[in-house]
This record gives sequence, C-alpha cells and structure tokens, in this order.
Amino acid sequence: MELVAIAIFVVVLALIALEWVHRTKLALAGAALMAILGVIDEEGAIAAVDWSTLGLLAGMMIIVGLTEPTGVFTYLALRVAQLSNGSALRLVFLLAGVTGLLSAFLDNLTAILLIVPITLLLADLLRVSAIPLVLVEVVSSNIGGTATLIGDPPNIMIGTAVKELSFLDFIVNLAPVSLVTLVTVTAGLAFAYRKQLRVPPERAAEIARIDPARDMREAVYVKRSLAVLLGTILAFFLHTLLHLEPAVVALTGATVMLLVAADDVERALERIEWSTLFFFIGLFVMVGGLEERGVIDHVAEGLADITGGSRVAETLVILWGAAGGSALVDNIPFTAAMIPVVDTLSPSGESFDDVRWWALALGACFGGNATLVAAAANVAAAGVLDRAHQPISFVRFLAVGIPVTIVSLLIATAYLLVFQL
Amino acid sequence: MTLRDITLVPASVPATATFREAATALRDSGLPAIAVLDAEGHVEGLFTDIDLLEGLFPAYLGELKHTSFLPDDALTERALEAADERVTEHMRKARELEIETSTAHAAERFLHCEEGALPVVGDDDRFVGMLPRAEFSLAMLRRRTGS
Repeated sequence: MELVAIAIFVVVLALIALEWVHRTKLALAGAALMAILGVIDEEGAIAAVDWSTLGLLAGMMIIVGLTEPTGVFTYLALRVAQLSNGSALRLVFLLAGVTGLLSAFLDNLTAILLIVPITLLLADLLRVSAIPLVLVEVVSSNIGGTATLIGDPPNIMIGTAVKELSFLDFIVNLAPVSLVTLVTVTAGLAFAYRKQLRVPPERAAEIARIDPARDMREAVYVKRSLAVLLGTILAFFLHTLLHLEPAVVALTGATVMLLVAADDVERALERIEWSTLFFFIGLFVMVGGLEERGVIDHVAEGLADITGGSRVAETLVILWGAAGGSALVDNIPFTAAMIPVVDTLSPSGESFDDVRWWALALGACFGGNATLVAAAANVAAAGVLDRAHQPISFVRFLAVGIPVTIVSLLIATAYLLVFQL
Repeated sequence: MTLRDITLVPASVPATATFREAATALRDSGLPAIAVLDAEGHVEGLFTDIDLLEGLFPAYLGELKHTSFLPDDALTERALEAADERVTEHMRKARELEIETSTAHAAERFLHCEEGALPVVGDDDRFVGMLPRAEFSLAMLRRRTGS
C-alpha cells in the first residue's frame, strides 16, 4: 500500500508539472483514488484536511476581493509609474517594491492578479515591453511573499501547521533576508533590462498628467474597505497576543468586510477562488495518505541518514531540496509533502527549533521563481499575458528564473549559516 | 412552430473579409452579430459587436477594472493595427441553431448565451440567416397576441 500511495502522489505531481489537466482536478482525483483504494480511510481523509489553511486563504480572498473595487491597487501602480519619472531603473525598483509589499501582506497570487493587468497598461502608455516588467513582478511577488506568514501559500501552510510559529516570527526571521534578496535580484534584473525599459520622455510626461486617484474618488466603501484590510493586517501582527489563529483573524476580517463593505453577499463570495481551495483539499488528503502509510517517516529517516543527523546539513538540504522540488513540480504540493517530513526531523516542546522551518519556507518560496510552473503566481501571470496576446514561453521564464533562484538561495544559505545556525 | 416560421436576416461576411469590412457589414446589418462563412457557405464563426469592441482596444483592457484616469486619446493605436487583420482573428466560435429547432429551444439558447443574434443553418448545414434575439422575441409575442 505504501508503493500505491507513492505512485499516486508522484503521478499527480508529474501531471501537475506538465499542466495537461487542471491541477485541482488532478489533486482531487489523487485524493479520491487514495480514499477508494484504502490508502487512507474516510475519517483519516477528513482529518487530514487543514481547515486553518483553507480558512486563512478564503478569508484573505474575500478581504482582497472586496478591497479591489476601491481602485487602491491601481492607484499604487500608477503612482509608481509617475514616481519613476521615465527612469527604467526607478520603474523596476518601484514596481518590485510595490509587488513585494502587496505580496507580503495580501498574498503573492493576489498581488500578481492585481498588478499585472495594470502593468500591461503602463507598459503600453510608456511604450516599453511589458514582459520584462511582468517578470520583475513575478520574481518580486515570490520573494516578497516569503517575508510573512500570509505572503505565499508555502508559508501559509507552514504557519498554520506549526503552532509555535507566529506571524511576527515569520517577519523577524524571513523579512530581512527577503528584503536583501529582493533588492539584489531587482538590481540584477534592472541592469539586464535597462535597454528594453528606456522610456521616451514624452511618454513619461503623459503619465505624469494622469490623475491616479480618480477611480478611488468614484468608488464606494473605500475608507471602510481599507480600514478593514489594515485592521486585519494589524491583527495578524497581534494574533499571538490576542490568542487568535491566523485563520480566525482572516475570517473575522472577511466577516467584518462583508458586513460593512458588501451590498451583495452572493457576489462578494464569488471572490473566493474555489478551485484553489479544492486543490488544497486534494493535496492535504494525498499527503495524509502518505503519512498514514509511513512514507513521510521513511523520507525523514532517509534525510537524517544522508545528513548524518547534522543540524546544519539537514537545514541546507531542506533549503536546496525544497527549492529543487518546487522548481520541478509546484511549491504548494511540495511543501504539503515536506511539512510532515520537517516536523519529524524537528525537535518539539521546549527545545523547539525553528531553523528547519525557515529553510523550508525560504527554499519553497524562492524555488517558486525557478520555473513557470513552480508557483501559482507564475502560472497566474502567464495566464494574464496569454489573454493579453503577449505570451511568455517556458524557456524565456527559465532564463530569468534559474539565475534569480540561484542568487536567492545563495543569499538564503548565507543568512541561515550566519544568523540561524 | 420552428425557426422556419420566423424571418431570418442573411447577414454574413466571408472568412476572407478584413476586420474593417466585417465591422462595416455588422453596422449595415443593424444586428449585434453576423456570421462568418467559409467558401461553401458553412458557418465558420460569429462576429459580434463585443468582438468589434475588443478588436479596437488592447486585449488586456478586459482585465482592468479601473480606467477612468485614462486620457481620451489613450489606447487608440490598436484600432489602426486591427483594421486590416482578418475577421477570423477576431471572430468567436458559433453555436448554430438548426432551421427545424423549436422556438422553446431557441429561447433557452438565447437565455444561456451573451450573443444577441445566433446563426441558423439549413438541413445541408449551410447558413440560412441570423436570428436576432429581439426579432425572435417580437415574433413570439406577435404569435401569442395575434398582432
């Protein structure tokens, strides 16, 4: 039965990477197969679903979905273009900064869906190629999302699975290294794209004349929506003091948002990306099946054998292994499978050691930049570009993704060795 | 009663037509959609007023939700490029109605699609004419009220 569990999981991962069939269908099919074949029993399958992760995701989807009509995100993107004042270097850094910040405090998939369409417009108005700007944003979203518990799906899963880790712990341990990585990588990309992003002066002047706040003035519930969004982010910082799980914070924020800033609850709930939630459900059940059949224990034992039980070696193997695995498949299923492995390796209780969790977060999130299929944000950006008739090929993404990932992992390695190990 | 009993409008363009020619034909027909036909008279696609609008502006415009800040002359270059493109690059897949289709079925199809007119094909699968939603509805009303 252990081999059946492995076979189902590996085949599903491979098919997800190939993108022939929607990943949600595959994850649910894999979960159903495991349940039908008896890899995991029905009670086990239901217990394997991490409802906290689903609650956190659904809550943030509602909050961001109801904030989006206020036009605040469009305002930010337009201000960035204006502040760049025609300088390609400034434009790249400002767009990377805004995307990184939105990713950290909303989540990177949402940030990409908000920022890429407006970037296509900006590129058109500035008469520059959109693809370099979108690539900068995708990379920034994966790095920026690394900084917080809610920024990137791997962190959401780790944060909800490991109760000892708070929102603040993520920021203290991951935000500095994410910031350094973001600045380094953005500088490299700005240099690489300096010729493609030269803005004609008359175009910069035209952008300067735009009134970026116009949509916000016409929108309703701007103040209420922003107050709830900022209040929720503040509550994330304080969730340990408030004795509230991040999922409870997100769902409470979503409920307040529905009460004060949504006229039509049916339409508001359409903002929830059900396919993403069901993708997670399928994954959790499959990983539950792997755990049930002892696969996770065997992987953890194998990892301990390879590294000889050395804390440093284990941490670095997790970091680079998570990045490699995420690059090949998708960082969400890979993290789902790795969480119980790292949990087995990590001491718990009073001797709780968080370094392996930071290695997993950094590896999975940074590894999300390696290939077009490595992170949900990448796939979402490619989808928007496709619909805009400006497709990006797998190879073109790879040409940026691989060097960015290697640089990011080198910084992460140095950070872990110097500050964490 | 079937679609054979309703007046259809023979509004179409050949698949070789340009975007500009299709736009003119659409306007001249007064319909929200016209058929795009192959050389044998089979329906290859449907060109609607939405396709016309989408063709005139960059494809990403539909992804945006806030654009009131744009100046009047922004994003107009796309129309120049589109004018000489083939209509087949802008048409959508057509869901045809058969001439013997019942009016109830046609009504159900209209309720589940965004196109304001649908192409009707004959027994030989060749285009017969466009069935405009408004004309169809009026025909149904006339039939029931007798006026």
